[in-house]
Order: sequence, then C-alpha cells, then structure tokens
Amino acid sequence: MLPLIRSEWRKLSTVRGPWLLLAAGPLLVVAGITGLVQSGGDVHDPAVQSKALAHVALAALFTLIFGIFAVAGEYRHGTVTDTFLSSPGRGRVVTAKLAVYAAVGAAAGLVSSAVALAVTAAWWSAKGGSYQLSAADSWRTLGGGVAVNIAFAAIGVGIGALVRNLAIAIAAALAWIALVEGIAGQLVGSGLARWLPFSASQAAGRADAAGASQLLPQWGGALALAGYAVVFAVAAMVTTLRRDVT
Amino acid sequence: MSEVKVHDLTKTFGRVTAVRAMTFTAQAGKVTGFLGPNGSGKTTTLRIVLGLVRPDAGTALIGGVPYDRLAAPRRSVGAVLEANGFHPGRRARDHLRVLADAAGIPRIRVDEVLGQVGLAGAADRRVRGFSLGMRQRLGLAAALLGDPQVLLLDEPANGLDPAGIAWLRGLLRVLADEGRTVIVASHVLSEVAQTADHAVIVSAGQVRFAGPLSEIGAAGNALESAFLKLTAPAG
Repeated sequence: MLPLIRSEWRKLSTVRGPWLLLAAGPLLVVAGITGLVQSGGDVHDPAVQSKALAHVALAALFTLIFGIFAVAGEYRHGTVTDTFLSSPGRGRVVTAKLAVYAAVGAAAGLVSSAVALAVTAAWWSAKGGSYQLSAADSWRTLGGGVAVNIAFAAIGVGIGALVRNLAIAIAAALAWIALVEGIAGQLVGSGLARWLPFSASQAAGRADAAGASQLLPQWGGALALAGYAVVFAVAAMVTTLRRDVT
Repeated sequence: MSEVKVHDLTKTFGRVTAVRAMTFTAQAGKVTGFLGPNGSGKTTTLRIVLGLVRPDAGTALIGGVPYDRLAAPRRSVGAVLEANGFHPGRRARDHLRVLADAAGIPRIRVDEVLGQVGLAGAADRRVRGFSLGMRQRLGLAAALLGDPQVLLLDEPANGLDPAGIAWLRGLLRVLADEGRTVIVASHVLSEVAQTADHAVIVSAGQVRFAGPLSEIGAAGNALESAFLKLTAPAG
C-alpha cells in the first residue's frame, strides 16, 4: 500500500492544478468573513463570531471538487490506464487515493481554520469588538469544519469514481449543493432533509450557530457525513473493480 | 517462459462483438506483428491481456498467469496503449516517477529509460509541449521502466518521423533478440513487414492467419496482398 500512497502523492505534487483549486478555500474564508462583518454583522455578538469561523466548512466545496479529480481526472487525461497497469488490484488504488485525498483535505481544512482565526481576530480588533466566544466553542466549530473538509474530499473521490466524466461529475456535485438538495429536501420533508449531505455538513460545521435552524446537532451531522463518505467509498470500490477501462 | 497465450477470447460491447473466439500465441524472442484493419479487435485484445477489459469468455495468460495475478506487473509486462495517457501539466521525468513509485522501481531507472528513448533533454519539460512523436517515446519509456520480459505496443510508430521509425525498428529487434516477447499491433503493414518474425492477422475480431511471416511470402508486397485477401469482408 505504501508504494501506491507515495505514487498518489507524487501525482498531486507534480502538477499545479490541485493546489490552485485548494487555495480557493482559504480565499473563500477571507471573503466570507469580511463580507459578514462588512454587511453589518455585530462584532460584539458571539454568535456572529461562531458564524465567521463556520466558513471553514463552506471551504469544503473545494475539497469536494479536489476529490472528484482523483479518479475522474485520471479518466480525463487517460492516465488511469497506466495507474491500473501498475496496480491491477484496483481496490488498492482507490484506497490509496482515499487516504491521500482525505489527508490533503484535512490539511486544507487546517489552513482554512488558521486563516479564519487570523481574519476574524483582525476584523474584531479593527472593529473594536471583544472576543467573546469561548475557546471550547471556537474549537468545536473549527474541528467540525475540518471534519467536513475531510469528508467532502472522500465523498468527491467516490463521486469521481462513480461518474468518471470529470465535467459531469463536477456539474452534478455543484448542482446538488446549489439546487437539487433544496428541492429534494422539500420533497422528503424537513425531518429527513436534515440528513441530506449538504445539510449534514452545515450541522457538522455549525453554520447555524444561532441554534434556531432545523439542522441536526453537530455530532449528528458529522455522523451522517461519515456515513455518506463510507457509502460513496464502497460504491467507488465496487464499480471501479468491475468496469472495463477502454 | 514469458510467452503470451490468448485462448478462445470473446468480448462483446453492447451489440458489437469486438473479439470472437480469438486464439494465438506470441513467443519469447520474437517480434509478433498483430495486424488488422481499424476496429478489428486488436486494441480490445491487448486490453484484455493487460487486465483492463474483462473478457466474456476465454483466457489471456502471460507466462501462464493472468495479468492481475502477476507478482510485479511492471517488471513482467510493459505496454504502450495510447500516445495520450499523460497529464499535460506534468513533467516527463515526474510522469515516470509516478509509475516507478507505484511499482517500487528504483528512481535511477527513470533517467535510464529517458536516455534510452532519446528524451533525456526533455525530461524536465511539461508534456503539454510534447509532439506526438515525443509522447510516443515517453510511453515507450514507461513500458521499459520495469525492464519487462513482455512488451505490448499498440501502434507505437504513430507520430514518429522516419528516423524515429528506423530507431524503433532497431529497438524492437534488440529487445526480441534479448529473449523478450514483443507484440506490435498495427495497421501499417510496411512498418511491421520489416520488423516482425511472426504475424497474427485479424479481421472482425477473428484470427485469419497466425504463423511465421515467411509463410506469407518474401515478395515486396506479399504481406499487403495477403492482408487484403485475409481481411476482406465476406461476400
């Protein structure tokens, strides 16, 4: 397994695309927190402070797309043939990708967290607000955000392996987040809608710090996301093992 | 031994039968030309041999073992399947390192094969800027990386200039003379006629001829006329 993990890491480290993509996560955090403060968010309100840190979970949009590239990107460039020639045991390839992409997803989440803390601190001192959020609460929000970044990277690997067409996989994932989940949520009712992936990620990343929304509790959201990651990973394994590579 | 044995192979894609009860053996120490018109099942057969496509029936063995049971596939078999299996933003040397990492092949081999295919000077360039001929050479370098006993090459001369084709011919000869099994799939007859010892001629997924090239005749266009006769559509 170690040679395959090393190979997957080298694939990532020898091209620029994935890193440009992942850099968009912290940029989104900066823009999001700045927007929150500039649009009148009260810097004296601890809920607003928690909401600022919750942007880390939103940055997971980019680890999701990053994950989709793992397998679908290989089909896009035709490198998947060489990958499976090196390792005819395709399950091991998918496992190595899951490990590497989850680890990089975690790193991306940690960078976004550090940026979120720095930008929040900067705005709060600029606006003269006092930092009222308890340390435990801050860490819970950031920890949830990092977990969402990891889960979305793994889910992305699964989506890319299932769909294989890079453009369709990315379009489908973005459409789900922007549109389809909302409609599906209305169809199944709010009780079940809380368990849908994006809602679960909102809960895990505590995007509803005010507590007034209909999201799951944080642990419930994290559990649901972990479940989705496992389901997609298993589906990725099963389909990847069987399909012809033509 | 490292002969490639294809037995009674059949593969259907939807309603199209790409390969139909195909049987042939490619021997070690020989260059086997795998000839047939476009769409005659050559590439599908090679992909089945390499474990990329699952046959509906039949077996494909390398030294008596299916590809996915080989202990060290890249050290046993090298393949060039398409001239475009590269990430355009990756440098040639890094492309080979990715493969060397996965197969546990020492890094020194990367520079050796780059030199062997004449790409030492382009090792640090991104593949995006490579000509088709250079991509073909890089694919060949990947195939040679594990110093394998079996080489499967699909249209390897595609995109090579005349000097490149002459170089490839010499390389294949040397590799076969070292005792390796070399299979070259092509529809360019003149290229194979000068290199191959054996020929397997296929049409519509079926073997029409398998045997020494000398059986077809030594005359300049003997291979071409035999090929056209063997692969002509029935009726």
